[in-house]
Amino acid sequence: MDFQPLPHAFPFRFADGVVERTGRAEGRVRASVTADAAAVRATGFPTAVLAELVAQSALLLQGGDSALGRKGFLAGISDLSVQRLPVPGDVLTIDVSIAGRLGDTVKFDGVILDAHGGAIARGSVTVKQGSA
Amino acid sequence: MSDDLKKRVKELIVRQLKLEMDPATIADDAPLFGDADGGLGLDSIDALELVLGVEKEFGIKVQDEEVGVTAFASVNALCAFVRQKAA
Repeated sequence: MDFQPLPHAFPFRFADGVVERTGRAEGRVRASVTADAAAVRATGFPTAVLAELVAQSALLLQGGDSALGRKGFLAGISDLSVQRLPVPGDVLTIDVSIAGRLGDTVKFDGVILDAHGGAIARGSVTVKQGSA
Repeated sequence: MSDDLKKRVKELIVRQLKLEMDPATIADDAPLFGDADGGLGLDSIDALELVLGVEKEFGIKVQDEEVGVTAFASVNALCAFVRQKAA
């Protein structure tokens, strides 16, 4: 089966834009959870989408275009812990930092914060740069 | 080559990659990457995890992919790399 990359356009685009850069591919990204996003269920985001949100944030910080393009794809998830799932109306901030890099493979640590600054989830994602 | 270092490296591989196997069953010269018989079949994602593990365990940074591929060819290769960097 051919691998079809997840399109990073609404409703599969979760990260809205970069709020602050603190380094190369590190910083803070904003995300708004809207009720009409395809991934949002009555109970909130599925857990796996939180990892995708961190990955999209990391790729945004690397210079990918939130609407038109991206520079890699989510290749791995580790140590993801969730305190609560986001619900429609949440405005989230995702703090992203680089844990390590080897060639075109980069591991990012991410913390997802709610509007009050409380961490609702944290974990690491591994992103492969380039096309799948 | 020190058996203690080999044991430490094998335990690092299993712990860092969350492998469900006895570290002692990893052959010293078995290829860590690829599909060769007796190898672990690791991939580039695992390579990055090993880089992070080596950095944490031995305080050695591996920033170049080519170095990583050579250093992580086998347990023996990784031990030699660690000893060289520590010298």
